[in-house]
Formats: sequence, structure tokens, C-alpha cells
Amino acid sequence: MMTAKTNSKNKTNAKPGVWAGLFGVNVALIAVLHITGALEGPTPYILYALNFTLLIPLFRTAQQRHEQKGAMSPAMRSYNRRFLSFSALYMVVMLGASGLYNRVADGSPVLWLLAIAPALAAMGMIWTMYRYLREEADEYLRQRAVSAAMVGLGFVLVLGTGWGFLETFSLVPHIWAWWVFPAWAIGLGIGMAWPERDAGEQP
Amino acid sequence: MKNRLRVLRAEHEWSQQDLADRLEVSRQSVNAIETGKYDPSLPLAFKIADIFGLQIEEIFLRDIAEQAAE
Repeated sequence: MMTAKTNSKNKTNAKPGVWAGLFGVNVALIAVLHITGALEGPTPYILYALNFTLLIPLFRTAQQRHEQKGAMSPAMRSYNRRFLSFSALYMVVMLGASGLYNRVADGSPVLWLLAIAPALAAMGMIWTMYRYLREEADEYLRQRAVSAAMVGLGFVLVLGTGWGFLETFSLVPHIWAWWVFPAWAIGLGIGMAWPERDAGEQP
Repeated sequence: MKNRLRVLRAEHEWSQQDLADRLEVSRQSVNAIETGKYDPSLPLAFKIADIFGLQIEEIFLRDIAEQAAE
């Protein structure tokens, strides 16, 4: 049955925001060190990939929070499981690709494969979102997810356009286009976590 | 859109979770509908009406301004 259960065993003070903040700060720190050249070679990619392990406590505490607020559904549990699986794949592929790309000949088919592989894992995450919207039977939760995705999209478009012009006028350094997915995910997270004026169970 | 969901629920002595279980939605959805933050789709509105054995318009009320204009 498609119901949400408020489970008493989950009445812990789950704080997904702390893990999300830690994840974001780490990404920002690695990005600054990467852009300024303080980190070179595969090191920044390895650090980016390792940072993904923070998604495990982040998703776990987010799920606990949703259970407490009576906003959990079977589709959301599947979404969390799938998203974590593809994140793990993304992490492994990123670690593998960053470790190997220096040992592969420039322009070789293997290098093409290494470069495309992380995008395939990212496609899995997008597919996970699509599946969630198809499977979510609760129309209110579905509407919230769509709104959150729009927040993510707006975040990426504003940030991308803004950075693009700053870069055009040589005010900021060049950054690689793969930042769009983490930026979208951060925007999605902000949209999902947007404070609900739900005072809990009402009489 | 205003509604009488909270009153009807109280009359049946149901919690939000009880009603959510009957509707097969999350408790947060019931809360959002009850507080007027979210207007349900027609299928869900019919489901709510069926559960209480009422017509949709006996549960969901048009805005006073709209009624006055008619």
C-alpha cells in the first residue's frame, strides 16, 4: 500500500542539512584548490569522488527526516536506493578514470571511453529522477519533486550564465562543463529541503 | 481553496495519518490539502469525497469572491 508511516523508531534528530553542507563545502574547497592549481593531476578528481561517500549519511538522514514528517513513499525509497547506487558507480568510475587517464595514449578510443563513462553514471541519476516521477503515486510529493527539479534547473542556468559572462570578461577562471550536474543536484537538494510549513500531525 | 477536511476528519476521529492511509497518500499530503497549500486533482478529490460519503462541493468550498461574482 502506498502509504507513509511515521515510525517511532525513527524519532532521531536527523540533520541531513549538516551532511549536505559538509558535502557542498568540500566541493567548493576542492574546486578552489583545483582552479588555483594548488591540486594537480588526478588528486582533485580523487577528492571529488571520495566526497561522494558523504551522500550515504546524507540520504540516510534525509530519509529519516522524511519518515518523521510523514512524507516518505515507496517510490521515494526506491529513488534513494537507486540514486545512491548510481552515485557509488559515479564515484568508482571517476576514481578509475582519473587514475588511468595519464597512462592512456592521447586521443585513443580507451581515453574516449574513460571520458564518457562518468557521463553514463550521471545519466543513470537522471533516469532515477525520471523513474521517481513515473512511480510516485502521491501527487503532492510528485509536485514537490518537480518544483525542486525546477529550482535545480534555475540554479544551474543562473549560475552558468552568470559565470559564463564573468569568464568572458576575464574576471573569473575557466571551469569545466561537468560542474553542471553537481550544481543541479545541489539546487535539487535545496528545492527538496525547502522548509515545509508543516507543524506535524494535527488533531 | 478552502475545505472542511479538518472538521470532517475530527468528526470521524481520524488523525491525518489515518486519513492518509485511507487515501493511500503521505500524511504531508493530507496536511497540505487541509491547510489549503495544495489543491488536490479531481481523482483525489473524488476519492476524498467517497471516503466521507459526500459530494466534492460539500468538502471543497469556492472562494467567497468567486461566489459573490456569480
